[in-house]
Amino acid sequence: MRKYIFKRLVAAVLTMWVLITVVFFLVRLMPGDPFQNPKMTAEIRANMESYYGFDKPLIVQYGNYMKNLFKGDLGYSMKFTNKTVNGIIAESFPFSADLGIRALVFAVSFGLVLGIISARNRGGKLDFFCVIVAVLGTSIPDFIMGAVLQYGFGIKWGLLPVAQYQGIEYTILPACAIGFYTLASVSRIMRASMLEVASQDYIKTARSKGVSEFRITAKHQIRNAIMPVMTIMGPTVASVLTGTFVIESIFAIPGMGKYYVESVSNNDYSMVLGMTIFYGVFLIFCNLVVDVLYGVADPRVRIGER
Amino acid sequence: MKKRMVAIVMTIAMAASLVAGCGVPKSGNDDGGSGDSGEKVFRYGTRTEPTTLDPTKANCIPDSEIQNGITEGLVRNVGGEVLPGVAKEWEVSEDGLVYTFHLNEDAKWSDGEQIKAQDFVYSWQRLMNPETAAAYAYIGEYIKNGVLVEKGKMDPSELGVAAKDDVTLEVTLEHPTSYFLKMIGVQPQFVPLRQDIVEKYGADFAADSEKNVYSGPFVLTSSKNQKWVFEPNENYWDKDSIKLDRVELSYIQNQETQLAMYENGELDFTELPKVSVEKYKDKAVQYKNGNTDYFYINCDGTNPALKNVNFRLALNYGFDRNTYNQLASEGIGAPSNVFTFRGLKGVDSDDSTYGEESKLESYPLDGDNDKAKEYLAKAEEELGMKASDITVEITTTDNDAAKKQAEVVQELWVKALGINVTINQVTYAEMLQRHRTGEFEIGWGGWVGDYDDPYTYLELFKTDCPYNNSNYSNPKVDELLEASQYETDPKKRQELLVQAEQIVLDEGAVLPQAEREVYYLIDDDVEGLVTYYVGINYDWRYVDIVK
Repeated sequence: MRKYIFKRLVAAVLTMWVLITVVFFLVRLMPGDPFQNPKMTAEIRANMESYYGFDKPLIVQYGNYMKNLFKGDLGYSMKFTNKTVNGIIAESFPFSADLGIRALVFAVSFGLVLGIISARNRGGKLDFFCVIVAVLGTSIPDFIMGAVLQYGFGIKWGLLPVAQYQGIEYTILPACAIGFYTLASVSRIMRASMLEVASQDYIKTARSKGVSEFRITAKHQIRNAIMPVMTIMGPTVASVLTGTFVIESIFAIPGMGKYYVESVSNNDYSMVLGMTIFYGVFLIFCNLVVDVLYGVADPRVRIGER
Repeated sequence: MKKRMVAIVMTIAMAASLVAGCGVPKSGNDDGGSGDSGEKVFRYGTRTEPTTLDPTKANCIPDSEIQNGITEGLVRNVGGEVLPGVAKEWEVSEDGLVYTFHLNEDAKWSDGEQIKAQDFVYSWQRLMNPETAAAYAYIGEYIKNGVLVEKGKMDPSELGVAAKDDVTLEVTLEHPTSYFLKMIGVQPQFVPLRQDIVEKYGADFAADSEKNVYSGPFVLTSSKNQKWVFEPNENYWDKDSIKLDRVELSYIQNQETQLAMYENGELDFTELPKVSVEKYKDKAVQYKNGNTDYFYINCDGTNPALKNVNFRLALNYGFDRNTYNQLASEGIGAPSNVFTFRGLKGVDSDDSTYGEESKLESYPLDGDNDKAKEYLAKAEEELGMKASDITVEITTTDNDAAKKQAEVVQELWVKALGINVTINQVTYAEMLQRHRTGEFEIGWGGWVGDYDDPYTYLELFKTDCPYNNSNYSNPKVDELLEASQYETDPKKRQELLVQAEQIVLDEGAVLPQAEREVYYLIDDDVEGLVTYYVGINYDWRYVDIVK
């Protein structure tokens, strides 16, 4: 297992290096530059360029960037001029991660339950209800979901605060809005996978042994059916925890979702790179964790490694 | 059994995390307005996140609005009226070139130190020093030697600003600038800075609320989590005039969210989304923020038709501004046929505006298709082309509103003139780049002044202006604009500017569309909010919450 993790880590570092390099040169190909003030004169532009080292050859700039990156320094944002990219991430990530964790707990717990109920009652009324929920969840865009929740619970019934993050009650609506899509996909995958497992020989064997239906589902079916859900959890965790632009905007959450989108439109090179690196590392980490968990859940993976 | 226990514990832990916090800092209490605690708190939101807390590097309205609360320059421009700031009085030399400011000895920094003339010298030199790379440094080019310092051709110490002693500051200008006081009263680049503080923090100066000292009526007590909290500055020389206990500014990008929060009592002030204006018509307050919307016409680009004055006039006469405003902006905005914001202060009296006094002759707001066709016929003859053979391209930004605007213009021109119009959408960054390089034919544009004077708009038509994006050049206009910079008689000066603008309109060098209108809602118990159309939009320094 240790050897396996080590190999994966080496691959991860290589992947990151390629990613950083590609993004470093690609952002420079975007039309325009980070200095987006229409009242900027040529002299000031030149001063700004030398301040950020853009007057040096690109390859030198790349070298400097990599050198600083080894020290963990992502540099200063070019839009938010006296803030560091590290500082911006440190300030905004906890908000996104906090909402993301709540959203995931909500999505996974309800998604699994819905999926199981659905599969157990295949073709029945409950199944129909669960499928409707799943279809709605995957087809309603999150900004509509967010706006509807905000209007209903916040404005119309006044049950929950409309926006911002100032306490637990503030997180319920955005967490639900973020989690709903994941909930729907988890329940769909779980349902399909439960049904597939149900037709396996060992389930038939268990049933013919006289094992109770509850025990079959709890002990044999779920454990095997959960594998495909785990597979999607790596990228899902990474994307949900690092913030959602639209939901954070609707609920005025000071998370990092907006920086992904806006750093690109601002041509804020250091922010684009910083965000890419952060997301990349996080995604690779999540996938690694999923792979390890896979081994825990499915002994065959471990055997295959030996 | 053990496994089941683990599963149960996990389930409980997961459920609990839904309700419990996950270590995110709380943003403090929030009983705003005339809240239960009896504190006077003013809460509002900004849709654009401020980019910096360093006054020298401030480069957008949200930046400047924060600085307006926490800093104070030599004078304070309150909605157009120049009031004493750190300087209690000042004299101007007869030629209008030398300003001598006498500083108030009671003016103190938030840490109790006296604000000295040297603090202004340091700040202004830092602004023009190329090493600072201040985005808005151009605003200091009025000061003697400003341009040379900015270009790195002269040492910052040779800038025309000198401390005669601790309380006397002498400023020498490049040319008489009648709007100088109004400008330094609202632009944050001219406030004092403490050299010891700036040097102590280096690149991290003003990175957050603790890494700074404040010269203004308020101090910043927190700048975390996209929220800025202001409290009165105990050492401010005029602290008795401050009525509020706290101001809370939050970054709330979504306008609908701001409105919902206002409705829920979570904000005391909000701007209205265009689509909601009708619904709140009775309660909403309207004002113009000085922004003008227009299309640049590249007068010296690759499209020969646009070099032709008659063709440009045909475009202007064939453009029904009233219809455009209805279709493209929900009728929010004041259709305009001139370039300069009409609400600028006039010279005849305190109440009259430049728009009223200038009496410019321009294209009718409803358009005039007959006249448009006349000009078009002349243009066809001069160009040797038929209207149906002429194609112009509108380059605009990639958001939905910009697309709609361009499509309305396209429709109006195709109908009125029978020419071909194409639309090219690019990112905002690329749009700015194209403005600079001239790679556009007709391009989206918006402008807001930096000082209350027509020159801040009209300089866009001066041949050597760095943001003359129309590539327009007329020696007569250059001459008039140049002369206006040296003329000290306000009436004569305004005449020069009016003449210049009239030529620009007569030559159809630009396609003015509308002046932006903003509608906002404000709680009944909030008094004293000042709106302005230059540099900042909202000045809450004098706000009071009345019970």
